[in-house]
Amino acid sequence: MTSGRPARPARDAERVPWIDAMVLPSAAVLAIVVGYPVVYTLVLSAQDYNLLGTTPERFVGAGNYRKLLDDTTFWLSLSNTAIYTFGSVAIAALLGLALALLTENVGGKRGRAVRALLLTPWAVPFVVVAFLFRYMYLQNGGAINALLLAGGIIDTPISWLNVSSLALPAVMVANVWTMTPFFFLLLAAALAAIPNEVIESARVDRARGASLIFSIKLPFLRNALLVSSLLMIIANFNDFAKIWAMTQGGPGYSTTTLVVYVYRQAFENFQIGYASAIGVVWLLLLLAFAVAYLRALRMT
Amino acid sequence: MATAVSRHVASARRASRVVQIVAIGLALFWSLAPLYWMLATSFKTELEAARLAPTPWPHAFTSENYRGLFTGELPFLAFFLNTLITCLATAIVAVIIATPAAYALSRARFRLRGTIAYAMLVFRMLPLVVLLAPLYLLLLHAKLLDTHTGLVVGFVTFGLPFAVWMLKSFIDAVPIEIEEAARVDGYTRYQIVRKVVVPLILPGLLTTATFVFMEAWNNLIYPLTFVTTLDKQTLPAALVLTFTGQFKTDWGGMMAAATLTTLPLMIAFFAVQRSMVRGLTSGAVAGA
Amino acid sequence: MAKISLRGVEKRYDGALVLRDCNLEIADREFMVLVGPSGSGKTTLLRIIAGLEHVSAGDVLFDGARVNDVDVGDRDIAMVFQNYGLYPHMSVYDNMAFGLRRRKLAPSDIDARVRRTARMLDIEPLLGRRPRQLSGGQRQRVALGRAIVRDPAVFLLDEPLSNLDAHLRVQMRAEILKVHRAVTATAVYVTHDQVEALTMGDRIVVMNHGRIHQVGTPGELYDAPVDRFVASFIGTPQMGFVDCRIERDGERIALATQAARIVASDTHRHALAAIDATGVTVGIRPECVTLASENEARDADVAVRGTVQAVEMLGAEQYVHVATDAGALTARVPRSRSVKVDEAVTFVASARDVHLFDRETGRALR
Repeated sequence: MTSGRPARPARDAERVPWIDAMVLPSAAVLAIVVGYPVVYTLVLSAQDYNLLGTTPERFVGAGNYRKLLDDTTFWLSLSNTAIYTFGSVAIAALLGLALALLTENVGGKRGRAVRALLLTPWAVPFVVVAFLFRYMYLQNGGAINALLLAGGIIDTPISWLNVSSLALPAVMVANVWTMTPFFFLLLAAALAAIPNEVIESARVDRARGASLIFSIKLPFLRNALLVSSLLMIIANFNDFAKIWAMTQGGPGYSTTTLVVYVYRQAFENFQIGYASAIGVVWLLLLLAFAVAYLRALRMT
Repeated sequence: MATAVSRHVASARRASRVVQIVAIGLALFWSLAPLYWMLATSFKTELEAARLAPTPWPHAFTSENYRGLFTGELPFLAFFLNTLITCLATAIVAVIIATPAAYALSRARFRLRGTIAYAMLVFRMLPLVVLLAPLYLLLLHAKLLDTHTGLVVGFVTFGLPFAVWMLKSFIDAVPIEIEEAARVDGYTRYQIVRKVVVPLILPGLLTTATFVFMEAWNNLIYPLTFVTTLDKQTLPAALVLTFTGQFKTDWGGMMAAATLTTLPLMIAFFAVQRSMVRGLTSGAVAGA
Repeated sequence: MAKISLRGVEKRYDGALVLRDCNLEIADREFMVLVGPSGSGKTTLLRIIAGLEHVSAGDVLFDGARVNDVDVGDRDIAMVFQNYGLYPHMSVYDNMAFGLRRRKLAPSDIDARVRRTARMLDIEPLLGRRPRQLSGGQRQRVALGRAIVRDPAVFLLDEPLSNLDAHLRVQMRAEILKVHRAVTATAVYVTHDQVEALTMGDRIVVMNHGRIHQVGTPGELYDAPVDRFVASFIGTPQMGFVDCRIERDGERIALATQAARIVASDTHRHALAAIDATGVTVGIRPECVTLASENEARDADVAVRGTVQAVEMLGAEQYVHVATDAGALTARVPRSRSVKVDEAVTFVASARDVHLFDRETGRALR
């Protein structure tokens, strides 16, 4: 469309007053309501602070962090978080990709309808998802057991959410159910954005089916996949509603992720200092992960 | 020879078509069956909903669950209105504050620009659970606990960075020459934003507002912590808090409540679905 | 109407020098064209005059008054952008009225001016439509109309025709000039097309790599280019260049290569006598060169032998591209003369038509 003119260099880097005025409200809001709590959290993490006030707060320095190292529940929650997050995101991304590829050439009204219907799980509030799946997972009267029994896959109804080894996968299924549409949406859009000429020249080269997908289409989707995965991983760390409303972190601690553990420490045991320390570790872990991830992204 | 090959190709194509249809059918079932189940259960009597062998559709169709929500002991209507009001207010306030910031990040060049973009990403990584305590104390001092305003403050801070990020990608799509033409016409930046940029990103504004609305609606932990009177509670927290004791087996009632909780989100989501793709893809595909 | 002066204008982006030492005087009501290849800085210069960019050094003056710190909207200019920059959500009428509304003119005034301008540009029937309903040419006129209706002192046009197809472009060139005559304002026009520059400009500024090479009328640029870049940029087909040795033989100076012999004209002899160099670049325009036989070549001032590389048929004439041992030339040859590729040919020209350029600096020797 434009003539062969090189990309125009960015605007002047001048301090014009209107810029400050426009960014100020957002920056102020965030600074106060986020900056202050973050700093306060760091301070709290170095204290032994019991919210109930039975003992006065005292400075313990790295004491909370040392306690963390020996806290088996903390490590369990960490591994649960890893499994829950990475497992759910990986599965949801793959399913989303499969759906995007499946519905790629379904066009017109039918295609739009199918795509809209496939997106519905994402629009369901998390608390509702939790209760709905809780209902479906019931040992007696749950839809899932009914279906599995009818299909002859199991003999006796399973109490999904009450067996430690099954609870986390069960919760993950609900998580995948609600996350898949996000990946589906993004990847379908990225697929549609692949220039036609690329596909057509690949077909001239007799690429078909699986080879077409893997060698031609996937590279185009790589960026979208990786960025959306990162966003979802970060979001999953904060996934409180789904787990809390389904299992409250039980049975035992089998579905306790970091966020659930911190909540319990802060608002059930009132150990706000200890909870803050866990929070700091969480933040550092995520930061390290994100930095490594982004660097790997940029390198390849 | 040729016909044999072409027949083979044709049957292969038919086979893959069948596979595709079956796969899509499975995917649709997987996506919609739970929702159907929720809806169906909401129309069952309490007895039928708790049956050992669940019925695929309500044998005794009843709307008493829905009636019960509004006539029963729990102030469901209050929950609904609380959620609706706070989420709407959040969406509006967040978009109003975020638009100038998104505009500045999109158009201006100042040294902190890259840092602020990354800061938005980092913000999402914060363990908000932990930030709750200081935030709680802050609201306590400002006497905003247990109020709609306090909740909105919490929701807005949570949704603001994402709103700025999303709006920025919509503003990026407006050609800069249009703004320069307005500058030549003598308009100030504020006037340009109001009269030229905003009308052009209206769909983007609505999409971002919807996103913030949805996120706020989903938020369980803030209402759980900041609101203590049950009457002032929002739907997610109310559902969790009230699902104890005698209500623990009233799955019909629970599903009715769940359906009504879902409805506004569904409507909002489908209203802006297409525009949402644009806002998400331009950011995600091009590299957040 | 306004006189525009640029004194020592410099522009840096991220430390890189994009415009260097630009000095320019644009007379009142002049149609000045800035021309140059992509990246030459011509658009940047235009935007500096507009006020959309700030100078890193130097001054911009309107009618003798320094306007460096005057905001875009206060400079009494109007601008036509390459991609038109029309407001998509407003009708054509509102697009044109937008700038006037800010000045708080009476609605009847605004209406009169908009309609008058629309009539001038033949877009009155389009006043109610939106930009997306218009063709490229129509949008261009609306962009033009939006600028005209403001009655500015200076018109700035940034490659407004480059998005139009060739036929429309030629048509619009004439329209723009007609409008310029009618509105009596100063105009600065940016283009990368040298043909456009030559046909439209009162005077032309030739730019490359952020420097102004030459400012002059089309005739001056064509007949007396100040350096090799201007000589090669202006004129179609391009001027041919041959690197020659200087042979000094008392009063007579000749330029030669293996395959060429050029007798220096009187004017050139002075210039050549003054320099030390052993070689010089000779430039000859294609229309000054004719094919000749070996006999005719012996008496000519300028004779060049070479091999035909390519022949372009252009209807009534041909462009013959010839390679010599020291450079390439193009000649315009009538169709009647048949020329074949790989044929050995000789060209002759008059000494007057020869341009000399310093081999290192590229500056013209006069």
